[in-house]
Amino acid sequence: MTGATIDHLISVTVFLAAILLFISLFNQTIQTAVLYQRHRVLATKCSDVLDNVLLNPGYPLEWGKTNSTLAAFGLQDPEFTQYRLSPFSLMRLQSSTGTPVYFGPTGLYYNNITMGFGDFLLVPYTLAINYSSASKLLGTNNTHGFQLTITPTIMVSITETQAENPLILNVKVFGIGFPLPNATVSYCFLKVGEKQGQSHPYYTSFFGRTFTNDAGSAFLTVQDIASEDSYALIVYAHMSGLVGIGYHQRVSGVKRYVIPFVDSFEDRRVLLAHSYDVHNQGPPESAVFYNATFVLLTEDFTLREMPMENSTGKLGKIVYGHGAEKTYHNLTIPTYNPGILVITYQSNSEDGVVLMPWGLGSMAFPVTFGESPDGKEWVATDARQVLVNGIAYQAKLSLWSLEGYPVVG
Amino acid sequence: MMRTIEIFLVIMIMTGAFIIASLFAVLPSPRQVSPLNLRRLALTTLQTLDVNHDLSQTTFKPTDDPAWGELQIVLSACLPPNIVYNLTVYEVSNNDGTLYTLKKSISNAKSIGIESDAASYLVASSNVTFSVTPEKVGERGGGGTLYILNCSNANGWWITGYTSQSLAEDLYNLLSPYFQKTIMIQNTVQLAQILNGTSIQDETLQNAVVINTFGEAVPIPAGYYSSSTVGYDTAHNSYARYCHTLGKRVLQYNWTWASIVGYPLYYVCNTGLFPNEQNNWGVYGMKMVDAAGLNAFLRGLDNQTYSYDNNWITAQLPEVVYLSNQARYYCNYYGVYPSPYQTATRALPTSITTTYHLNVTTYIFNQVGNYNPGAVYRHVVTENGTRKFKGSLLALGLTRSPDIRLTALGILCDYKPRLYRSEYTATGTSRLVVLQLGQAGGI
Repeated sequence: MTGATIDHLISVTVFLAAILLFISLFNQTIQTAVLYQRHRVLATKCSDVLDNVLLNPGYPLEWGKTNSTLAAFGLQDPEFTQYRLSPFSLMRLQSSTGTPVYFGPTGLYYNNITMGFGDFLLVPYTLAINYSSASKLLGTNNTHGFQLTITPTIMVSITETQAENPLILNVKVFGIGFPLPNATVSYCFLKVGEKQGQSHPYYTSFFGRTFTNDAGSAFLTVQDIASEDSYALIVYAHMSGLVGIGYHQRVSGVKRYVIPFVDSFEDRRVLLAHSYDVHNQGPPESAVFYNATFVLLTEDFTLREMPMENSTGKLGKIVYGHGAEKTYHNLTIPTYNPGILVITYQSNSEDGVVLMPWGLGSMAFPVTFGESPDGKEWVATDARQVLVNGIAYQAKLSLWSLEGYPVVG
Repeated sequence: MMRTIEIFLVIMIMTGAFIIASLFAVLPSPRQVSPLNLRRLALTTLQTLDVNHDLSQTTFKPTDDPAWGELQIVLSACLPPNIVYNLTVYEVSNNDGTLYTLKKSISNAKSIGIESDAASYLVASSNVTFSVTPEKVGERGGGGTLYILNCSNANGWWITGYTSQSLAEDLYNLLSPYFQKTIMIQNTVQLAQILNGTSIQDETLQNAVVINTFGEAVPIPAGYYSSSTVGYDTAHNSYARYCHTLGKRVLQYNWTWASIVGYPLYYVCNTGLFPNEQNNWGVYGMKMVDAAGLNAFLRGLDNQTYSYDNNWITAQLPEVVYLSNQARYYCNYYGVYPSPYQTATRALPTSITTTYHLNVTTYIFNQVGNYNPGAVYRHVVTENGTRKFKGSLLALGLTRSPDIRLTALGILCDYKPRLYRSEYTATGTSRLVVLQLGQAGGI
């Protein structure tokens, strides 16, 4: 009788222990499957959100060309179907990488997608669409976080191999780690000429076309260029439907120069400021004289200069300080055709040239929008090939859940 | 003891069940759980490569053509480094009962990987795409020449945002298919040549259409600049006499003169002749004629003698103006779609039809009160007892900047060239491009 009781006790104990163990094991398997299912849903959500952003122009339809607030978020160019993005909507995205710039005379902070000295894109925060607003409009607020990166597919790098007489420039065209041989390279070369005294600089420009060699390089030779001459080169490379943009400047004056700020998309107005007013670099400095022009990218893969009328404010003088004269000037871009605003400047025997894209694709600027995915537990990514004003870009979306699914397996 | 043995038997059964369940319930790899949407990536890659029809053209080239090599290069250049691809082109036909015939395949790897996806894209040959052949103006009757003023030695006004040369290029693209011959007047010397009745490329001078792309300005040749009989009104220090001569030439050659924007003939322009003159707005190479230009032109068109009349005759309409029903119909017919409403600040009065014996043959915009924002006026003459049209003016009294499609629409509305549409039924005109993408490396 005692043996039967002990047998009973042991068997019940072992049975209960085994049941608990197996419940735990089966539960773990089920939990893992549920998590994987959630991750799969996240991947589907990522693809859906990316298509939703890229295949929808938002509302108002032409919001990139206005100063209006958004009622629906989308980046598609309303004039096209498929994966073509509006170059102006992209300009209004608040970049998550650049350091904001404060400009005292307007009292505003500016979103900064500057790509080095002389290549500026500064949009006031009051006009830029921030991540929080976009997230609310997309319906992902408090449920998902995301980062959208839009980067050019074709890279064009330009380096000087000889500085003067003749100036020799090496233009390298490559894709994602792959050079593009035999690509057509159209270019616009703009040399700054300095007039003596207090006057606006002048410029001379010429256009040309060449092809890359087997290594994806093309060498451009420009005669009559001295080492102290300032110039800008804008290059448009294309091959079998892929188009990329590159640019390069050399300036003799890096102390006093012009900084362009987008002031109004609706009025196509740009503020031209003295560099000292932006950097607050101490006592009053010499005025900067400027002379601006606009370069268009045409449908036949060439660059063309579009002369600006005097009434647009293409000529001017900017002073630093707060005297009777204005500390910045207004310039009106004459068109909504995407292009590049080229501003030549001179001050105290120094001169140079700065560029600003009008439409993000015009200078193949990249943009990163949203939170950083660093440190997130499970991030789904998806990518598409898109076109911005005919320039090939890749759009990549990283999406994660804010409900904190752990990674298992 | 038996119960304990039974329990261990139960445990063994449950362990077996767990092992068997685990074997069947294989959890997918992270790549399968959260995959890159390769199908969409493939489709957008094909769309990008075909944006300027480069892909379509390549797929119809011989298989040893260098274009295939370029296609392989751009595929490698635009796809992420961990993506392998296989692009296959099939000819679509129903020969021998086979719908798809393999034409060419290119790839950057021997194997496409464990996981792959594909997108297909149908392209058509440019040679056999559905085509529309327009009737040429002048095929029935004389004429058929289109002159577009593209003078390099002149500047335009009220064409803000454009240059005359860019407008001329756009007009050429829009209208040249509808004319027997299209000639770009490259400088004022060539303009003088046609004004003097000499053709440039053996074209028919009579019954031509002349489009002035310089907005409110009109280029003036050197011979007319210095002549007091055909160009310069010495008494009034005005080039209105040149505008009068233009009107007479339009009548003489039965031209249709098209003014694309603003007040017609308000300035004369020539950068060589007026190097120090400007239009009061900072554009040099231009001299104001004022309202006298249009009045003189209309007098010339009506074969009246020249007299200086500087009365402003156009009106600024308070509301936007709308395309006429006729213009809207032809928008669809010709596939030209400008904005249906515009702002008119230089609308011509209807009174000119009686003053200068004009007949409105095409309303581009609806008439507003006693003003026409845009219309084609044909001059009525009686020759040998027969009333007929001789000399015309297309005037768009809109505010800047010009929409050149409206000029094209006005001309097409008035001449009404027919469109002959043709469909193709030839075989071998479509190709199917399949891009298969796979991921290499990783898990």
